[in-house]
Amino acid sequence: MAAVLSIQNLVKVYPSGTRAIDDVSLDIEHGEFVVLIGLSGSGKSSLLRCINRLVEPTSGHVIFEGADITRARGGELRRIRRRIGMIFQQFNLVRRTSVLSNTLAGRLGYRSALRTIIGRPSREDVAAAFENLGRVGIADKAFARADALSGGQQQRVGIARALMQHPELMLADEPVASLDPATSHSVMKYLEEINKKDGITVNGKVAFDGKPDAIDERRFKEIYGEDAVEVEIGPSRVTDSMSAAEAAALALAQDSTTAAAKLGLPDR
Amino acid sequence: MAEYFIARGLPVPRELERNPLTDWRRLSVIAGAILVFYVGLRITNPDFSRANPEYAASVIAQLFHWDLRILTPQNEFETFWDTAEGLMIATIFLGIVATGFSILVALPLSFLGARNIMSGHPVTAAIYIFVRFLFTVIRSIDVLIVVIIFGVLIGIGTAAGVVGLAFHNVGVLGKLYSEAIEGIDAGPLEAITATGASRFQVIWTAVLPQIINPYISFTIYRLDANVRLAPILGYVGGGGIGVLLFQSIQLLQYGAAGLIIFMIVVTVAAMDFASAQIRRRLI
Repeated sequence: MAAVLSIQNLVKVYPSGTRAIDDVSLDIEHGEFVVLIGLSGSGKSSLLRCINRLVEPTSGHVIFEGADITRARGGELRRIRRRIGMIFQQFNLVRRTSVLSNTLAGRLGYRSALRTIIGRPSREDVAAAFENLGRVGIADKAFARADALSGGQQQRVGIARALMQHPELMLADEPVASLDPATSHSVMKYLEEINKKDGITVNGKVAFDGKPDAIDERRFKEIYGEDAVEVEIGPSRVTDSMSAAEAAALALAQDSTTAAAKLGLPDR
Repeated sequence: MAEYFIARGLPVPRELERNPLTDWRRLSVIAGAILVFYVGLRITNPDFSRANPEYAASVIAQLFHWDLRILTPQNEFETFWDTAEGLMIATIFLGIVATGFSILVALPLSFLGARNIMSGHPVTAAIYIFVRFLFTVIRSIDVLIVVIIFGVLIGIGTAAGVVGLAFHNVGVLGKLYSEAIEGIDAGPLEAITATGASRFQVIWTAVLPQIINPYISFTIYRLDANVRLAPILGYVGGGGIGVLLFQSIQLLQYGAAGLIIFMIVVTVAAMDFASAQIRRRLI
């Protein structure tokens, strides 16, 4: 099993001086379901966004399928991005347009700018959109406006949009934090399914209330499945002796398709 | 209230200590305002001694004694477009055309003047600051002064009116449009960027659907304002029905002036009603 994603010595310092990510290294294998856990403000969001460079890392490398994302520019970066799906806490749909156009937006990375303006979506794209909406159970809502949908339905559109990219890796930024427990459960089930059936690696994060060592084991497994394993990852200063790289290695040593990685608070 | 703080040994907030009737700060502000008003009155020295109530009454009577000759061509050189109603229609279109030109310029510029679109790179950030500065400078010159300047630059007439009005509106619409872009939800931009879309595709897919409604609303608001402004532009060399009004008053033809003023009032009221209806249906 080769690593689909390899994060090497990643550092992100914001202009304000905040060290959001302090030398984090992490390998993620094909087909894994990795959950980043940490207190709010510990840099989970930044780490996730450094992977597809929605946030520009200060130093370090992110290697995706052998390509260095941190070095990619322009068209090359966009070609890498389209292979990495992403879903968001606030769903981030274009609210005023239809569910179908939101889903079709997942194909933008494969289309020219001119085609976006004057062309109509191809028959294959529309068929794929309906197929993906069907997978998340909302094909009947295709022509509804995105903001007419409930939160859970909007997140499913988000998943369908990401699936349109044929991603090899799916980033999930607190995908269920805005949803009620029952809806959360169904959305997580869809993520679990694309992980198991399509072999898409899922890298999610979840905000965490309480101290890192107070994770409720039962609740954790309830959300992320019986295979979930918690592993602490964080700067050595925060987690005593364990370095980020060591923790990552420990995560990989676990005989499990699912690993949970925990980020420590940044050094301030 | 103050006892609450005193009983607990806390400092009493100043808001509680001040008596609004005796607070010298408040009183000095009021005294200052009265002083400024008094000094201003002495400097401007408005002279009401020349006002003649009888003459005023006769002019008002003449204003309602409409001179209907201005509604028809008076000699073989005049056409429909020299009549008051022809000029009124031309003036309405002057406002519409000026709005159209200002949209053409303000629309593309507004993206350059939106912080959330331009903040990614030092060069684009500099362009953003320049464009917003430009909007502010343009807006700071009153539209009548702009039309006077263009009257000198390109000659008195409707050209000066259209260009001057359009120029001023680039500043107003540019600012309103830019702020509409800055007010959009950034989430969809992030999501569309993450799909591998180009910058242009992101703007097309995630920004445009969010700004269409505010853009339409601001445009109708300015169209309304410009059609109201257009009749007066003739006074400063901008062409339109204002020229006829100016001439009538200079020639003491108050019957014609009264009819023109009535036509302007009706037009503005109709515009007001129409724009309110359009805005209500759209939003």
